This record gives sequence, structure tokens and C-alpha cells, in this order.
Amino acid sequence: MSETSPTPSEPAAEEPLAGLVAQFTSPEALKKAAARVRDEGYTRWDAHSPFPVHGIERAMGVRRTILPWLVLGAGISGGMAAILLQWWTNAFDYPHIISGKPLFSLPANIPVTFELIVLLSGLTAFLGNLVLNKLPEFSHATFRSERFRRVTTDGFFISLDATDPKFDEAAARALLESAGAAAVDACRVAAPARLPAVVGWALLVLGVLATLPPVLTLWYRSIPKRSPRIHLIQDMDFQPKYKTQAASPLFADRRAMRPPVEGTVAVGRLREDEYFHFGRTQDGWARSLPMEPTDELIERGRQRFDIYCAVCHGYDGAGGGIVSKRAIERMEPDWATPVSFHSNAVRQQADGQLFHTITGGAGKMPGYAALIEPADRWSIVLYIRALQLSRNAAAGDVPDEIRRRLP
Amino acid sequence: MQAEAAQITATERISLGSQGRRLAGPALAVGLAGLAAGFGLGWLRDDGLKHFFHSYLLNYCFFLSLSLGGMFFVLIQHVTRAGWSVSVRRLAEILAANIFWLTVLVLPLVVPVLLGNSALYRWNDPAAVAGSELLQVKTPYLNPAFFGVRALVYFLVWWCLGRYYLGRSVQQDVSGDPELTIRMERRSPAALILFAVTVTFAAFDWLMSLEPEWFSTIYGVYFFSGAVVGGLATLILAAIGLQAAGYLRDSITTEHYHDLGKLLFAFVVFWGYIAFSQYMLIWYANIPEETTWYLARQSGPWVWLSLVLLFSHLLIPFFGLLSREAKRRKAILGFWAAWLLAAHWLDLYYLVMPSLCGGRLPLGAIDACLLVGVGGIYAAGVFRVASACALVPQRDPRLAESLAFENI
Repeated sequence: MSETSPTPSEPAAEEPLAGLVAQFTSPEALKKAAARVRDEGYTRWDAHSPFPVHGIERAMGVRRTILPWLVLGAGISGGMAAILLQWWTNAFDYPHIISGKPLFSLPANIPVTFELIVLLSGLTAFLGNLVLNKLPEFSHATFRSERFRRVTTDGFFISLDATDPKFDEAAARALLESAGAAAVDACRVAAPARLPAVVGWALLVLGVLATLPPVLTLWYRSIPKRSPRIHLIQDMDFQPKYKTQAASPLFADRRAMRPPVEGTVAVGRLREDEYFHFGRTQDGWARSLPMEPTDELIERGRQRFDIYCAVCHGYDGAGGGIVSKRAIERMEPDWATPVSFHSNAVRQQADGQLFHTITGGAGKMPGYAALIEPADRWSIVLYIRALQLSRNAAAGDVPDEIRRRLP
Repeated sequence: MQAEAAQITATERISLGSQGRRLAGPALAVGLAGLAAGFGLGWLRDDGLKHFFHSYLLNYCFFLSLSLGGMFFVLIQHVTRAGWSVSVRRLAEILAANIFWLTVLVLPLVVPVLLGNSALYRWNDPAAVAGSELLQVKTPYLNPAFFGVRALVYFLVWWCLGRYYLGRSVQQDVSGDPELTIRMERRSPAALILFAVTVTFAAFDWLMSLEPEWFSTIYGVYFFSGAVVGGLATLILAAIGLQAAGYLRDSITTEHYHDLGKLLFAFVVFWGYIAFSQYMLIWYANIPEETTWYLARQSGPWVWLSLVLLFSHLLIPFFGLLSREAKRRKAILGFWAAWLLAAHWLDLYYLVMPSLCGGRLPLGAIDACLLVGVGGIYAAGVFRVASACALVPQRDPRLAESLAFENI
């Protein structure tokens, strides 16, 4: 009776009725009407407004949601999962010491735990809200009402679903009008629209094309090919420089590696002094140092020995350095124990021979010429002599002040 | 509902008036008695008043933090142009404006430092400074003159902020001029920056410098987070107390308690976050220069205090305040507010006392006396400020919104 003339979008009356939608002019009117509908016992209906209306849940009789409990459960699960993850991966499956901390250390594990609690709680709140509200709902019969478009600006509406057990079109219309509705529209279910044929064909074509990449990939992985693989991100992989033993078109002898110019010696490489550089004289091994032995030289020798030599030969020169100990412990098959400097054989070696051994190596020992300067190598020789003396000295070698203190 | 609650009901009692003034006197007397007793006990200990000063600092910072928490509440309500909080905002303004007595109460801490006393602050002892290169390098900052100047600046800023925001709000009670609200809002961002800087450096000066070799850049935030918890708890308890005494029965509703409870919960979590941040970084880096502070707090009996603090300040109140119902029922919210106020005191105890002595927990009658002492004087100040104005900003333009406010 009070229904206004059909709006342009109201379809023909043969379509089934989805429900009624009624417009109200203010939030207070909406709340009053909602309370009326609630009291009548309707259960499948909703109120719509452009902004949240305080108290509408009470007016509608909306029950409290279980979402907070879901979020709490998710948060607790997230926390436990994070602790379990970190314990299992770092303390159980692959025990790994990080930063000297205990394998399972709570302070270090808290950040991840906190984040996972927050993540699961947040995701559950968001997704739970959608799911519990049965969203997303892509279409609803109320959208077909022209009047209902005002709901996003200044319209307040109540929609009654025709599937409600108490629904009867005439009674519902009367209720809404007596509750103060400015207008009541019928919403009709549209016949489900058919998808255009083009969409189907397009999906089919896309589906077929989508099989190409995996098929091609599998094909290419199974056949041998002569050409190198496609190298997309080249970085600095191909550089315009000549590597060792490469050919170069720039030189007559076509070598990229150039020998030194005839008749020249590189700076610092002129090893004229055989004595100093090789420990050799015309008569054989050098029998003494090429420089004056001083306290500073011995101290330098001690420092260099401790750095380079002690790992194998031991700090006392007796051959029990940690490298040797470990190799023996691990039963390395081709390990030769480092010689002890206190053996007769080594004690009888000349200084120059010791120097030569340091320079070029002997047996398992590599040469240290590249690591240690010649002067430092001589200082090490001096120190080795001091070590040898420490195990093989006569009483007369001890200085007087110290001898007096000995028992 | 909105049309009815647009203004304060005529029968509502919104002014403490003479009742408040009558309470100020006894509070002051109790406070002075407590201070005297505490001083006496401290003198008897014969330790150069070391325990007295530490206990006094602890209790002073406790009550200072309540005012600072209230100040923060006022400033964020203005900066966010909040409408819900107007009916409780005056209580926070009163707390924040209690600066006069707090300034007087800080003198026993600042003046001895200016006079060269080093019972509290080791950096004021020339012998200690001479023996430590670290302290010598920090002398340009940690020296009595600059210390005094900074204290002056802090109180000047807090005085201005507290008095300004209460003053304008009270002025609006009479004139109803919305321009006052606009101005208070416009000044609040700058006020917040000033607040942040002064609170941070006050925490550095008075609390962090107890261990002058140690430092933590998050220390100011740590103190601030505890202060907001304390301030909000005080607001809640004040509202409950006033309503029990017959004031503000209709102005402060369940919705206000709910929101205050939400803020309280949020800052409990925030405190936990900051406390853990400070702990974890120092624990993980394991640098001896930084770990000494925590080592002192987990050695011997202090480890129990640390655990009690963790549970009482974070873990238990978290679940206690989690549910919606807990925040909407005065009895439950009030319980947790009182609990957190005690936990906040414990937090300050944890900050201050380990520098007094390492091996034991120095809790004694002196701490209770000085709590009553400083608290009594602080309360007297609050009563006097509260008696001079209404307890609700009667003509704030957002009062109607606040009274009709509904949570979802």
C-alpha cells in the first residue's frame, strides 16, 4: 500500500522473492526498528548503515562471537609452534651452537615466538572475521534495489531474508512499515547469469598455454645439448682478462703470461747474496747467521716461531704441536710426525741447512719462503738454536747470577 | 541514549571542594611524619644515609612517575583529539599539575649532590672519578652543576606543561570557549616532544646514573612505560575511589573503565616489550661492560626479585586483563590496577636498590616509612589541586561525546 512506484531496477514479479529491504531516516529509527524485528523473532535478517551505529548489536540481539576465543587459541598455538620449531631445529635435530648460547635458549627464542603469536592471532582475527560472516559474498539480492545504494552515504536499512522461517511477505511488510520505515522494497532473485562463451574459450586457451612451460622445462632437462645453458644473470662471470696459460693475440709468441724482460730482475727479487737468501756458501752450508745475534733478534725469532712453527713442532720444538697431535688423533694415514729439534741429527745440522729447510720445506713440511722474510727466517734459526741449547746445555753455560740460585 | 547524556546531571557531585581541602592537612602531616621516621631510621643505620637516599629516590620516582603518566595521558588525548576520555581527563590533569610538591620533594635528592654528597651517585665522588677513566670521560655530563641545571629544566618544563593543561581546561569550565581546546591540541605535539626528552633524560640522570659506568639507550623508554602503567592504574583507582565516595557517579561509565583498562593492558604489554628488549640485547651481545647491570640483578636473592617482577608486572596481569569482562567490572579492574601499582613500585625497587648493596635484598621499615612519607606529601598536593577545580571539564566541547560514549 505504501510502496512507492516500482524503481527502474525492480524486475518483473515472476522472479522469486529474496526478501524485503526497508529504508529508515536515522540511526535511532534504525535501532528502534531493529529491536522490533528482533522481538518478533526474526533470525535471518540484517541492518545496514554507512557508519557503525553504537548499540545496534544490542538492538538486533546479535550474540557474542567466538572469534576472541579462536584468536586466543591461535595465539597460544603460534607460541607453542614457535618454541617447538626452534627447539626441534636448533637443539634436537641439528644441534648448533650460535654465539656461544645454550642450544635451547629462551631469550634468543622469544622474538620469533612473539612474532608467530602475533602473526597467527592477526591472521585468525582477519580470516576468522571473514569466515564467520560468510564473506566474501559476491552478490546479494539487495544490491538490485536502487534505493539501497544510499546505504553507503546516508541511508539506514533493514533487510529481511525470505528464507527466514517467520517470513511472510505481507506480515513482514506490515511490520517494517509499523516500525517506521520510510520505504519498503521487494528484492527479487535474479536468474543466474550465464558466463559469456568467450570467457570459457579464453580459459581453455590459457590452460593449454599454461602447460607449455612445465612441459618444455621437463623436455629440456631430459635431452643432452651441445650449447651451454642460458646464463641470464651474468654478473662478472665473463671478464675481458687473460688467465694463466691462455693465448693472447697481442704478442708474437702468443703467450698471455709474459716472462720478465731479458736482462732484468723484479724489484726486491735480486737475490745476489747467496749467504743471506739461501744459507749457502762456496764451501757448503752456512755455519752461522749472516747478522749479529742480539736479544731483539732472539725475541723476534721466538715470536715468529710461535706464529709459524709451533703449531707442528710444538712450543718447545720437541715435535708435539697441536696440528701433529690432531693428525695422530684422527689417524691421518699419510702423516709424518714433525722432527724434534733436540735430536742429534738436527742439532748437528748447520745454520744454513736449517735456514734452507724453512725456506723450501722438507718431507711433509711445506716451504715458508712466501710467508716469512729471509731476515725473519734467520731469526727463527737463532731461536731454534736457543731451544736446542735449553735442552742440551752444560752447567758452565748458565750465567753466574742464575747458577747461584739453583740448588 | 545520546540525547539524555548530553550533559552532566544536575545531581552529580563534581567538586571535591572543602572535603578535599580537609584531607590535605592530615595527608601532609602523615607525610612529614613518615619522612621524619624514615630519616631517623636512615640516620641510625650509620651508612652515610646511603640506604635513606636510595629508598627516598625509589619512592620519589614512584610518585613522580604517577604524575608523569597522568601528563602523558592528557597529552595523547589532546594530540589525538579524543572524545571518549573527556570525563576522566580532569583527574589526569590534576595528577600532572601536582608539580609544586614534586619540585619540593626533589630537593633532598638534588641539593646534596650540589653540595658534593656521593652517597647516591658515585660519579659525584672525586676519588671514584679519579680511579675510573670511564667516569672521567663522562664528567662533562655527570657533574653537579650540569645535573642541577638539567633538574631545573625538567621541572620548569613539567611545571609549564602541567599548569598549562590544567589551567586552560579549568578556564574552559567557566568560559566554555572551544578555542581553548583547539589551542591545547595544537600545542600537544610539541608538548609531547618536550615530555619525551625531559622524561628520558630525567631517567638517565636520577636512575641510570646510579651505575655510572653502565648505560642503556632504551632506559628512558623503560621508565616511561612503567610511568604510564602507574599513571593509568592511579587514574582507575582514583575514579573508582571517587565514585565510591559519591562523586562522578554518572560521568564515568563502564565504557570509560573499559577504555582505561584497554590502555592499561596495552602499556603492561609495552612495558614487557621494552623490558625484554633491553634484557635480550644485553644478554645476547654478552659484553662485560653492559652485562654488569643484569648480573647484579640475577645474583643471589635478586634473581627471585627479577622473577617476581616478570610474573607480577607482565605475565600474570596479561592474562588477568585480557578479557573484555575484566576491564568492564570495577572490582576486577580495580584489583589489577592496585596490583600493577604495587608491581610498578617493585619495578623501581629493581632499578634502584641493587646499587645499594649486592648480596641481599635491602627491604626494611625505612622503605615503608618513606613510601608513606613521600606519598603523604604527594597526596596532600593532589588534594589541594583537586579541591580548587571541578573534577570534570564541565564545558569541554567534547563532553557530550564522552558521556554518550559506547564501546562495541
